[in-house]
Amino acid sequence: MTPEVPDTALLPIDPDSGEPIMPRMQPGYYSGFSTLSQKPFWDDATRKIVLERVEEQEPIRFFKPAQARFWTTVFDHLIPQTDRIAEHRIPILPALDKRLFLGRTVGYRFENMPHDRDVYLLGMDAIDQEAKQQFGGGFLSLPHLQQELVLKAIHDGKPKGAADIWKRMSVHRFWQQIMQDAIDAYYAHPWAWDEIGFGGPAYPRAYMRLERGEPEPWEVTEQRYAWVAPSHAASGESETTHEFHTEALQNRSRRKGI
Amino acid sequence: METTPQTGLSLQHPMHDLEIVRNHIREGRFQRSLSLLTAFASLMSGLEVSYEHYRGSYSRRVMYTPVILSAVLFLAGIGSFFSKRVARTILRFVSAVTLVDSLIGFYFHVRGIKRKPGGWRLPMVNMIMGPPIFAPLLFGTSAYLGLIASYLRREDEALSLPRGTSNMPGKALSKTTERDLLSIEQDIREGRFQRQMAIATGISALMSGFEAFYSHYKNNFKYKAQWTPVILAPMLAAASFASVKNRKAAITVLPAISVLACADAAAGFYYHARGVLRRPGGRKHIFYNILYGPPIFAPLLFGAAGALGILASLLGRRRR
Amino acid sequence: MLGALQSIHVPMRKFKELEEVDYIIVGVGSAGGVLLQRLSRAGFNVVGLEAGPFWDTEHDWVSDEAGSHELYWEEPRVTGGSDPLALGANNCGKGVGGGSVHWAAFTPRLHPSDFEIYTRDGVGTDWPISYADIQPYYEQLELEMPVAGPAYYPWGHPHGYPYGPHPMGGAGNALVRGCSALNIPVSIGGPVAILSGSHGDRPHCIYRGFCIQGCKVGAKASTLITHVPDALSNGAEIRDYSMAARVSLGKNGRVNGVHYFGKDGKEHFQRAKAAIISGYAIETPRLLLNSACPGFENGLANSSGTVGRYLMAQAGTVVLGRFDQLVRVYKAPPAHALTEEFYETNPKNNFARGFAIQTVGPLPIAFGNQMVAAKKAWGWGLRREMMDYNHWASFGLLGEILPWPENRVTLDEEKDRFGLPIAHVSFNLHDNDHKLIKAATAKTIEVMRAAGAEEIAHEARYAHLVGGARMGSDPRASVVDKFGRSHDIPNLFICDGSIMPSQGSANPGLTIQSLAARTADYLISQGDRVFTSSDRDMTSPPIRRNLAPPDTWGKGVPRLT
Repeated sequence: MTPEVPDTALLPIDPDSGEPIMPRMQPGYYSGFSTLSQKPFWDDATRKIVLERVEEQEPIRFFKPAQARFWTTVFDHLIPQTDRIAEHRIPILPALDKRLFLGRTVGYRFENMPHDRDVYLLGMDAIDQEAKQQFGGGFLSLPHLQQELVLKAIHDGKPKGAADIWKRMSVHRFWQQIMQDAIDAYYAHPWAWDEIGFGGPAYPRAYMRLERGEPEPWEVTEQRYAWVAPSHAASGESETTHEFHTEALQNRSRRKGI
Repeated sequence: METTPQTGLSLQHPMHDLEIVRNHIREGRFQRSLSLLTAFASLMSGLEVSYEHYRGSYSRRVMYTPVILSAVLFLAGIGSFFSKRVARTILRFVSAVTLVDSLIGFYFHVRGIKRKPGGWRLPMVNMIMGPPIFAPLLFGTSAYLGLIASYLRREDEALSLPRGTSNMPGKALSKTTERDLLSIEQDIREGRFQRQMAIATGISALMSGFEAFYSHYKNNFKYKAQWTPVILAPMLAAASFASVKNRKAAITVLPAISVLACADAAAGFYYHARGVLRRPGGRKHIFYNILYGPPIFAPLLFGAAGALGILASLLGRRRR
Repeated sequence: MLGALQSIHVPMRKFKELEEVDYIIVGVGSAGGVLLQRLSRAGFNVVGLEAGPFWDTEHDWVSDEAGSHELYWEEPRVTGGSDPLALGANNCGKGVGGGSVHWAAFTPRLHPSDFEIYTRDGVGTDWPISYADIQPYYEQLELEMPVAGPAYYPWGHPHGYPYGPHPMGGAGNALVRGCSALNIPVSIGGPVAILSGSHGDRPHCIYRGFCIQGCKVGAKASTLITHVPDALSNGAEIRDYSMAARVSLGKNGRVNGVHYFGKDGKEHFQRAKAAIISGYAIETPRLLLNSACPGFENGLANSSGTVGRYLMAQAGTVVLGRFDQLVRVYKAPPAHALTEEFYETNPKNNFARGFAIQTVGPLPIAFGNQMVAAKKAWGWGLRREMMDYNHWASFGLLGEILPWPENRVTLDEEKDRFGLPIAHVSFNLHDNDHKLIKAATAKTIEVMRAAGAEEIAHEARYAHLVGGARMGSDPRASVVDKFGRSHDIPNLFICDGSIMPSQGSANPGLTIQSLAARTADYLISQGDRVFTSSDRDMTSPPIRRNLAPPDTWGKGVPRLT
């Protein structure tokens, strides 16, 4: 099997040398840290579900193959993983597919949103229309950076196309939902815990060094390295603003002046 | 030269006084001083256990017993400075009860560690975050001192033959055992219990050292100085146990390392106090910071082991 | 199992299908658990219906954020209004123990002022009881949970706690540093219903930070472990997987039982001499509305039209601060320090009432969602913020949003899997609320800055949920009286967070359990009259401390006040 040759335009960059940073097994500042190595110290019930998450691949039952390909690509933008080697990327679609297949929800639907399954089906349409509106082609046919810009328009709450879909579905709540599903899948995975230095399950063994951010004997101290987002990314910046004091304003407006 | 009636010390000429103290100890005539030392030790222990058991929220009524007993022992120690009778009766009794209490405490602490999730399968975490395993036995040190004190002669007492009856429970035992116990009692009374005290020193040092080890491990030995009690404690223990067999060790190595231990304890006390004040909120939340900062009395307990070692080095040995 | 060491030894009693019990309690959550225990201990035949499972903590609960979603109410609901509330994991529990399984377990009391905000500040409404009425129950429940906290808690009516304070984690130390720098008094180590020392068969906290995912240790109190065991040993029955559908009204204008869907999916009817609804702020009004019948076309016990109204959530904005030093906020319970210095109305402010500032401890998924909201993070920006997870500390403010009639629960057209109309929640902020939230956010940011954070972000959100069937002395403006008895129907009671007429800036859990104990004392003192008579005796009962679960006693420190 030929190893994947990474497209360097999609790799994060070392700001000092200007060189792309090659994919690694475990990005993040906690090199050598492994929550999975601590599984003898977990309880049985926890070990079972965490290992299932790592070892078992849920079949795709809700999405049709084309839809699965579409959303996998979208999630590759929402939570990019080009800094991970191919064998150590965290699957995001299967968890979402399972939830939609089972009809499991978070227990509430905003009144300006359709049901979850329709959110994803309509959303797919809306993104595709946005792609055609902005760049003249279907979403999957666009190059990476243009795909990113399509999604950024929705992130910013200023889509240029699909007006009637956005009449039936709040663009802000839509973005909130797909990000939530992406985060729920990625940061539930032990490899993501290792990346961010989270301790993982903690029963029956918990923590003894609670203060000053001290690591447990089996945790790892932080080893920071500088990196900037890839050249073909539009998602590198986050903004802190203190304008919005209520949840409605925070989620309605994406930028100043809206 | 004017001397105080109770102790025979002038309190004005240090070198002379030091010589007198040495003689007193060698002859077993230091009941008054040891009573005061007992009172002081039980005050420190009492304060420590009071706030540590408050951290444990007095979740069992039995946790009040060391608090009450240390107060009673403190009073008994003070009383024993003034009265021989108190020293021989009340002090002896309270000390014995407190020693039993410390054993009960040790049982509960061990049980408490076992009952934490993971129990003894997670020894370090559960010893560090559970009840401190040797604290009750170290608490018993003041009671041990009190018990010894109750058998000593007083500073102003003449060397005299032992009286007929003893208060020890030897009455219920066989004639030979009773004779042995009387003989031990006499040895104590005459200051010849160096070996026994050396063993007590060694055990106390090991326990203190272990406490320091796992407590400092919680901190990941962030400060290099935190290694010193962990290194000194086994050295003190080794010197103490060596002194049991070897008289020379008892008067050379033992006092030397004991003094080092005392100095280390003083340094530790300073660092712990500093650590308490450096916590978030500092003086504004002083009570909380004492509760959850580095335990301020713990280094003093290590110093108590050192003090025992010094005392042991000054004693006589049993006739055999 | 109910934790690391505790388990239920007695087999549970099962009433026969057609047997008429004394009390049927809908919802075995924070209030339901206490009521079940008190009433069964007093000798009544009681059945509790719980829509969710009767948990076995060893097998059913996992030390994992994503794997814990079954603890929350995930049945469908619609949420709207100008400021829609997030429900589900944010504020709604399911299963025996209810919200007390997934709460962070902060347990402050309401202040005396909370019971008369209309008299004092001209806003909201007064309660039909005063602080003095509930005070003995606060003290009692603080012993039964028990609650750990400082020896002297200075705000409201000052008091101490029976269990000592907890050690600090990263968020707590940040709060202490920030408050100390600004000379703001802060409560360190509580008040939380989490053990700081062991309590019988319950080990003390092991500082694992998974409170919101259910305490596998048994250190955090939930009525599942504090009251349900005693209820069972006194002959109470809990039917889990039992979703109440309709409360049944007999021809004599009295309730005669509850229709529910059982574990087998079939509809059942349990006859009872009296019913207590403890379904919390959404399900309680929903059940009453779904129980509409001749004479009560607008919903059972709803002659006032207030069923579902005056719903309240607190402003729960999270302020996040990034520190140069690592924080590792995931260690230690999320709840471990707070300040109520800004709780009361300050005449200098342009708004009435106030707020509290507390610690929170987001785990990775929660933190990720916060970064999306607070910093609009996505893609590589999100990856970067998440890699810095260990650098962030977090505070949550609790702001007193006032009761408004248009904030309400109604029935939606959509139906759930049982064929029952689902709840439609509408929430809308008003002028006082906006001003309060702005000021509270600014003050919390100030404290975070004083703590040394070099970057600050905040996520606006809401916390807790009360109201919807409020108590009052006027039957035209409330649903129940000061003991929880509905004005319209003499043997229908409501006892849960929905009966609170205002919320203060305190987490409602302690108040809910205390109200339940008080209602239980009332019911017990009324005896059989509840089942037969329509008379309403309004004498307050004496507090019955001997009805507490037996292992309450013999533990803890004497209180200073």
